[in-house]
Amino acid sequence: MSVMSYSPGGRAARWLYGIATGFALFSGFGQMPIFKRYYLADLPGMAWTANFFITSDIHYLAAALLLGLLAWRLALDARTTGAAWSWGPRSWWGWTLLGLLVISGAAKVLRNLGIYLPPPLIMVLDFTHLGSAMAFMFTGLVVLVKPKPKPNLRGLAG
Amino acid sequence: MAQAISRRNFLRGGLATAAGVAASGVVLPQAVRAAGGQELCTVLDLSKCIGCEACVDACRETWQATVPDPVNPMPKPFPSRVPTQDWSKRKDVSDRLTPYNFLYVEHLDFEHKGQALELHVPRRCMHCVNPPCANLCPFGAGRVEKNGIVNIDPDVCLGGAKCKQVCPWHIPQRQSGVGVYLDIMPSYAGNGVMFKCHRCLPLVKQGKQPQCVEVCPEHVQTIGLRPQMLAQAEALARQKAQADGAAPDRWRDYVYGIEENGGTNTVYVSPVPFAVVSAAVNQAHAQAAPGQGKGRAGAGKQGGKRRKAGFAGRPPMGPVNNTMESAENLTAALVLAPLAGLAAGFTRLFGKKQPPSDQPPQEQPPSEQGGQS
Repeated sequence: MSVMSYSPGGRAARWLYGIATGFALFSGFGQMPIFKRYYLADLPGMAWTANFFITSDIHYLAAALLLGLLAWRLALDARTTGAAWSWGPRSWWGWTLLGLLVISGAAKVLRNLGIYLPPPLIMVLDFTHLGSAMAFMFTGLVVLVKPKPKPNLRGLAG
Repeated sequence: MAQAISRRNFLRGGLATAAGVAASGVVLPQAVRAAGGQELCTVLDLSKCIGCEACVDACRETWQATVPDPVNPMPKPFPSRVPTQDWSKRKDVSDRLTPYNFLYVEHLDFEHKGQALELHVPRRCMHCVNPPCANLCPFGAGRVEKNGIVNIDPDVCLGGAKCKQVCPWHIPQRQSGVGVYLDIMPSYAGNGVMFKCHRCLPLVKQGKQPQCVEVCPEHVQTIGLRPQMLAQAEALARQKAQADGAAPDRWRDYVYGIEENGGTNTVYVSPVPFAVVSAAVNQAHAQAAPGQGKGRAGAGKQGGKRRKAGFAGRPPMGPVNNTMESAENLTAALVLAPLAGLAAGFTRLFGKKQPPSDQPPQEQPPSEQGGQS
């Protein structure tokens, strides 16, 4: 079965989306003290991965890029009818995960500004953010590696 | 931690409020005020401290027993280079921060303006206004209470020591072999629990004062609402500056904690400039006896190099930039990016125009659709 694809911005937008999600996931996992423990920071040129302030800044920048792209897409979607996009979530599941990530991430940003949030809520937000990111990553990986159906060219030939 | 606009504005507003409160002469009981959810701050007048360590003893007597002993044998972390830190057999150590010792007194001997001086500096968590240890904890174990007390939930902490790494003073201390990580994957994730001063949070919740404030025979510490305490610290520092022969407007040289790391809720006031105190602290740490803090549990790392034993568990007292400043600044990008995206989308910037309804959009096989979920 073929899929109609709508790709404003072309390949550049797809790459930007991939870069934003990739860096957001990488820097997000880097917020846990695992890169140094498990030798990633020992690889040549990777020492910065053990610096939590650098990975935090990268996380912010990747999140900003991702938010910009998604907002752009939503605005275009509002003026477009039912076209499937060649990047980004296509299912309710993907949008739900992204929504959870944005909401929990926004709350964590507020906390980083020094705005008080109750500690139990922060713990829920932290685990929501982590869980949603892991689910998003595994879902993306499954989509990437699952066998792809062959394109249906009969419709075009006919 | 109620900070509606920005830290600087909060500080300005706080000082203005303090001036107003001082002018009005309205003083309510501190415990009542604290119950209202406002930040508590302590001011330490170092010229009063005689170094008796009554505060240290009271802190240890009250809280040491709340830190559990590790399991035996302790799980061996993987990879093997990950150090376990066990202070359970060295609970008597009181000249530095350890998981079983949240407060110690730095005894300093130095010269200032040709005079030999002695100064005693109680050291513990600074309870930052916007603490990186709590903000950056990935599991929510680092907590900031409404009254400004920064503490670590021992039931949640996995002992990864990130809080210690991001703390400019490296305050939290790890005890391996305790905590919830033992029930998850003790060898592969976590390494114990981080402990530090919680400013007697359970007592403060009951309306009582922290032990170190309560037992001090010289009344070195005062605790109260942040605006009041900042005003008190400024007034005291102006006196110290004048007594030291400096201009009163140099009073900030005589306080430590108001601006450090973006502001803390522990403010020291010294009879000599803190540049002098900082140098004396560094000298004392460098000269610390080799036996002090010896062993894996006592060693510390900073900047990728193993620090000398004298520095481990003994925080410096130099200038500290706001570690959360970068995150605060980057928040603007998070706000502007989606606005820019919406604007670009609604003006169809970079976007192709909507295909005519009788022509389908470009057809692509699904194999080219990466990154979907």
